[in-house]
Amino acid sequence: MNGFEHFDDLLTAVDHDGALAETRSKAEATLSRRHLFGLTLTAAGAVAIGRTRDAGAAAGLSASDVDILNYALVLEYLQASFYTEAERSGALTGKTAQAARIVGATERAHVKAFLELLGSQAVKRPTFDFQGTTEQQRPFLKTAVAFEDLAVAAYKGQAPKLQSNPVLAAAVGIHSVEARHAAWMRELFGITPAVDAFDRPASRTSINRIVASTHFIVSRPKLTGRKRPTFTG
Amino acid sequence: MRWPEVEQLDDQSINVASSRRALLGTAGALGALATIPLIGRLLQLGDALASPSKAQDAKILQLVLQLEYTQVAFYEQALRQARLTGDLRDFAQTAVEHERQHLAAIRKALGPKAGPKPRFDFGQKTKSAQAFTQAAIDLEDIAVAGYNGQATNLTKGTLAAAAEIVSVEARHAAWARAIAGEVAAPDPVDKPITAQQAARGLREFGLRT
Repeated sequence: MNGFEHFDDLLTAVDHDGALAETRSKAEATLSRRHLFGLTLTAAGAVAIGRTRDAGAAAGLSASDVDILNYALVLEYLQASFYTEAERSGALTGKTAQAARIVGATERAHVKAFLELLGSQAVKRPTFDFQGTTEQQRPFLKTAVAFEDLAVAAYKGQAPKLQSNPVLAAAVGIHSVEARHAAWMRELFGITPAVDAFDRPASRTSINRIVASTHFIVSRPKLTGRKRPTFTG
Repeated sequence: MRWPEVEQLDDQSINVASSRRALLGTAGALGALATIPLIGRLLQLGDALASPSKAQDAKILQLVLQLEYTQVAFYEQALRQARLTGDLRDFAQTAVEHERQHLAAIRKALGPKAGPKPRFDFGQKTKSAQAFTQAAIDLEDIAVAGYNGQATNLTKGTLAAAAEIVSVEARHAAWARAIAGEVAAPDPVDKPITAQQAARGLREFGLRT
């Protein structure tokens, strides 16, 4: 069982300024909802979605699936924004520039698909600050590796919880693409693209904690739909 | 290893006759989903059997077993015959070790009903580095699509276990493509294949049973 090893790998990979390892124990000790705002809805917000009459109504999705899709959407926003910003910075060259262009286009396509799927229930794009990692090739690659490994672990953790079969079919098709991205970025960074025979999932709490510790998300996503229930049955 | 126990069943071919109807039934209820290109494509390609059950898991794992046997045999033969060097050799050695662990996990999950190692004829695929690279990409892509195609057919516990393998197969595919200088992740979403398509793919690749 090497789940913690992976967690540490992820943390190390995003620890671009060397400060995160130190703050990890503190983050764990003081973990509160406030730390999770970066990546997920508040419990109250999630409940509101569940109660909102038109929650996913157009697509017939359950409140639970809407919640998971919004979580995936934030991860896709994070990745899409990261690659787009790196591309625009002009700092990337050669194979890395080519990979960033292709992977970025894919992440933007994922965002678009989730936005269409969620309609008015989609969370808004948060504001990001990638702390300079998009402006130099090595920090870019290191962060890309972390994001992609994180996405693989996140999708893997959520896939068995999805209730809608079509959404599950789409999610696993995206999950394996994120794994391809992870391997590609690892190869470009010069580390082994496939570390272990089994990729372990990560819970939302773990993912949120890691993302929060990067301070890449500077504003939490807000619901675009109504937050208060207007239909109580 | 966290593979759930599966019911011990006779090996039998997977019946995909009811596939589309089951998934499209769900899709009908969801309507708007089909208007999204990525997802619409998946709705058409999805391979739904009856509702997930332990018995169905066992049938699907028999197919997965054939897949993992094929991968282990392919990499072992290539390491002996294809005169692999450098990055390609590192890749093949890492991949074969992963596939052996996958095979062991599936065999354990199936217990006494796990069939013996089949025979193979990989032709020229294991005879040169160049042929090996393309064949490895093909086989890993079959693996990814095959696993993905069964996601909606598995019980949640078995799905969770399979998900730990499929992303590793995807990493292998991307790794081989990167070594070959190709775009390592060519599609925005991986298309699933049905059990029948996966079985046909393995036969064409060299599985002789």
